[in-house]
Amino acid sequence: MKVFTRLMVSLLSLPLFLAVVPEANAQAVGWVGQVKVSRGIVLLERSGQRFPAPVGVRLRENDVVLTEANGSVGLMFNDNSVLSMGPNGEVLLERYAYDSTTYLGAFDAFVKRGAVSIEAGNLANAAPESVRVKTPQAEIRGQARSFAVNVEGN
Amino acid sequence: MSKHGNASSFISLSIVLLLVTACAGQRETYVVLPDAKGQGGSLLVTPREGTPLKLDGAYASAVGKPGSSPRPSGLNEQEIKAQFGEALSARPEAPASFTLYFREGSDELTADSKKDLDKVLAEVRRRPAPDVIVVGHTDRVGLLPDNDRLALKRAEKLRSELLRQGLPVDSVQAAGRGEREPLIPTADEVPEPRNRRVELLVR
Repeated sequence: MKVFTRLMVSLLSLPLFLAVVPEANAQAVGWVGQVKVSRGIVLLERSGQRFPAPVGVRLRENDVVLTEANGSVGLMFNDNSVLSMGPNGEVLLERYAYDSTTYLGAFDAFVKRGAVSIEAGNLANAAPESVRVKTPQAEIRGQARSFAVNVEGN
Repeated sequence: MSKHGNASSFISLSIVLLLVTACAGQRETYVVLPDAKGQGGSLLVTPREGTPLKLDGAYASAVGKPGSSPRPSGLNEQEIKAQFGEALSARPEAPASFTLYFREGSDELTADSKKDLDKVLAEVRRRPAPDVIVVGHTDRVGLLPDNDRLALKRAEKLRSELLRQGLPVDSVQAAGRGEREPLIPTADEVPEPRNRRVELLVR
């Protein structure tokens, strides 16, 4: 009976269901990550302009995050990937794409200078090598969920 | 050795060190860290010039310099932790996960889960810049599209509650997964209270 009732409800609500589906897939929020930790002077460079980046600031693809000599920063992305950086650092969020249903996508960060640690999130569940770090001299990717790079002398 | 000799050898040592540092110039270090479960994993370092190097296991590390292939760094765990200390201490706190349960075929929380909702709200208030991911699920009673709708309805209900508590609209993402991801696998049309749930990730 219960099944029958639900079947009827489902038939009656079919047009509603069709209307709801696009919203269900409308997962794409306008931002890819957020500043969760910000100590000392941390800046965000977007479209050629620099802003302070305190805790709570939202991140977009192509943003550059910079720390000064007293700064450190922790970012969390939509797939739960985490990137944190010590002083005198600069990282470009070159590419971030994430499908929250399939966990497919890609995250490329370019570390220009500084010490950066990465912990890959759901993206790595779908494809371990979808989280990559590039530096002036190399590209780093692999099965490891957690890794770090330090770029000195730049 | 005279006092003067000590001073001049110190100066020449300093000059040598300065030269070495200047020649070193650009230098990169690559490290495998243990993940949340303590596992290491492997990492492939592909230089712009030279031969790629594979690192295997926690605290395996390499250094790279312009124009040459990366080579093992010889750094030990303590040295790595020192080098990356400030970056590691800035890692955001891991997300907190909660599961709330619903009455059959309904977007009403069970009595127990109504109380657990307070724990979710407390965690949200505790975090400096909280955002929440809300994913609704159903058991396998009923049709798949029907359950997709119910799962999303459950997630949206909790999303509304979080917004009412003052979270910004774009800090709460809601999605429905229908009956696709049961906590307890069952045959179709089997009622299972543990699968009628919403999972919340407070970050």
